[in-house]
Amino acid sequence: MRIVDRNYLFARGWKSAAPILFFVPGFFLYLFIAVGPSLATAVYSFTDATGIRGIAINWIGFENYDEFLFRGAASRDNIAALTRTLYFSFFVTTIQFGLGLLLAVLLKRRLRGTAIFRTIFFMPVILGVAIQGLIWKLFLLPSRGPAAQVFEWFGSSSEFLGGQPRQAFIWVIVVQIWANVGITMVIFLAGMQTIPEELYEAARIDGANGWQLFTQVTWPLLTPAVNTNFLLNIIGSLQAWQLFLVLIGYRPGTQVLGYLVFAEGFGQTSGSVTSAFRQGYAAAASIALFMLVLIIALSANFIVTQREKKYMP
Amino acid sequence: MKFRILGRLLAVLLAFGLIAAACGDDDSSDGGDDTGAEAPGAADAGDDDAGGDGGDDGDDAGEPEPEPEVEDVTLRVLVHQNPPMVEFMESFNDEFEAANPHISVDMSVVSPGDLSIATQTRLSADDIDVIDIFGFSNAAQPYMTAVTPPNWQTLIEAGLLMDLTGQPFVDLYDEPTIQDAGSFNGKVYAINLGRVSYSGMFLNLDLFDAEGVDVPTTWSELVTACEVFTSSGNECMTAGGADGWPIFVGAYGLLGAMYPDQAGLMEGLWTGDVRWTDDQGVEMLRRMQIFASEMLEDGVTGLGHDAAPERFKAGDVAMMPTGVWQAPALDDADFDWTYIPFPGSDNPEDNKYLFGKYDQGWAIAANTPHPEASLAYLEAFSEPDNYQAFANAVGFIPTQPTAELNTKLGAEVAPYLANYRVGLEQYWVPPTGVGQWAGAWQGAAWFQPFNEWTDPAALAEQAQMDFDAGLNAG
Repeated sequence: MRIVDRNYLFARGWKSAAPILFFVPGFFLYLFIAVGPSLATAVYSFTDATGIRGIAINWIGFENYDEFLFRGAASRDNIAALTRTLYFSFFVTTIQFGLGLLLAVLLKRRLRGTAIFRTIFFMPVILGVAIQGLIWKLFLLPSRGPAAQVFEWFGSSSEFLGGQPRQAFIWVIVVQIWANVGITMVIFLAGMQTIPEELYEAARIDGANGWQLFTQVTWPLLTPAVNTNFLLNIIGSLQAWQLFLVLIGYRPGTQVLGYLVFAEGFGQTSGSVTSAFRQGYAAAASIALFMLVLIIALSANFIVTQREKKYMP
Repeated sequence: MKFRILGRLLAVLLAFGLIAAACGDDDSSDGGDDTGAEAPGAADAGDDDAGGDGGDDGDDAGEPEPEPEVEDVTLRVLVHQNPPMVEFMESFNDEFEAANPHISVDMSVVSPGDLSIATQTRLSADDIDVIDIFGFSNAAQPYMTAVTPPNWQTLIEAGLLMDLTGQPFVDLYDEPTIQDAGSFNGKVYAINLGRVSYSGMFLNLDLFDAEGVDVPTTWSELVTACEVFTSSGNECMTAGGADGWPIFVGAYGLLGAMYPDQAGLMEGLWTGDVRWTDDQGVEMLRRMQIFASEMLEDGVTGLGHDAAPERFKAGDVAMMPTGVWQAPALDDADFDWTYIPFPGSDNPEDNKYLFGKYDQGWAIAANTPHPEASLAYLEAFSEPDNYQAFANAVGFIPTQPTAELNTKLGAEVAPYLANYRVGLEQYWVPPTGVGQWAGAWQGAAWFQPFNEWTDPAALAEQAQMDFDAGLNAG
């Protein structure tokens, strides 16, 4: 049975166009849902667009970028949000990565109950952000909440999400990790299942202990999963903002760049007053976020590529 | 070969199907004229000639006259979450549908924070007929430069709101309300349904009696009262701190007592005549810190705005600074209560004002396919009896001159209504480029435990610096 016709690409008539025809729908779909909006955002960032139909859109050059980065004290707050985004990404990536790996190693052992724990750790991933936020808001109620009760046992107390920005920020990191560590764990588990058992047996015969098995067999052969998780965690945490919205809302000293984009684009409500929709300005902020993600993702990609060359030549 | 024949057969059938569909009677695509929409109580749709040949009335006396065809209409209404208001609207919608059998109301309820986004997106998508819109405010003033216009103004300039000028029901509302809260460039775009005050507080009078505390009329008396309540194991105040804004709204009386001329305060900040670092500004922040850090009970950082009345009803909290809109939630309280202006000054004369805003209103989408049904909906809503019932249900200070606030709240706030003023929140338009601390009037929500500030003077400095940064940025 011939599965691939090697002459297909060089065939005459309609057959020669078939590969291109199959490619075209996907290509246009990609242009329509991915490239198009991205390019439109870049163009919007040079305008005063409000997003409201019927309002003229004017070309204002680099004014949005100038305002975002250099004008008044708002630029100071924007830079602070950018710095906060980096902190958030660093802590989420490192902790989520480490915890996900640890859970995967523990759950790979064929012990009783691992399937249940695997389900428990993965369950938050399937919940929506609103549900995740609601669960934690209830858990972290400062008065009479379960977490407050635990703090009380140790003679301590906390305002949790409603308290000082730094404290609230740390709790959002905790919730972000809880919400996503399951997917990190599953990717690691999938990677571990591709490692042949014979390699472990051979290593054990050579006298390797548990730590050596991990560092000399698991870790090098887990490279694809490590790299995938590393990049996913970085990009996901740099773009995260929904949990900030659900858990603490728009409060001075807590915004990350993604939330700032949303608040500027769709207004921030305080009491009954909502600020104007500035979608051109928000587009400029999102381009700044994109540049940040791009630079960090490219650097991370360089590191993981080097790692792949080292372990998987 | 068989497949090719089958394919051709299917193609022919599909073509016939399309032609048949195109020639068919389309009775659902055009909603442009929803005839016969009548208000409850005036639903004599049989007299409505629209859609029929009204000129033939009576010509064929011997034959039964065919009923004029009335198109079914689904009226899409958007409102924000406010439990007593939503409850009233559900009941009103039932009555409206009963009086107008061809109209069904599809009401969407969104949280107040999402109202603006929902309004903008649904208006832009022509997916809404009647919208709930807060009273027009925060307009740019002549002394302001390079500021972004408020959303309601942008919606009007985009041609998305219907001009309601000359509609009969507009005249049912008092003229100043129509001008201040629903007009732009001489045209009426919204009818506002009520004013609310947010600079006062509810008092548990039974607890005051039990502890032998008089109702405070000055700041010093308020501080002393709080000390009495907390020393006896009760709590002085509660508020919905988890939502942030109820904290600075709760302290509005302090702002109002310090700066009774709120429009003047906004202008003064722009012109430099008023600075947050003035003695008055620092003193205001000092008192806000006492309010936030000492007067409010522990744990309010996790208490939502809607949950605060439940906490207050527990009976061991003496005061709840908040807006009058929460009065209906106290209907079943086991104690006697009242609502008074927050005594933010040591001069009782400064504490006689109630500050507030124009709250909910109605506007109609300019591109609605159901203009007559939409107008009928507003007309029905505005009928004096219905409006009176609405005002009673939600506790708004009425904007129809014939209506009265026939509730306990109405009786409690009546002495202060002559001193009602629009609050700074409705005038607040900062220069572009101000920092996040520029609005020191929100300072109560920035002191510990809600945020990091502990020094009122330092916060005043930061606030003024952030406001100046916007002014200097041009």
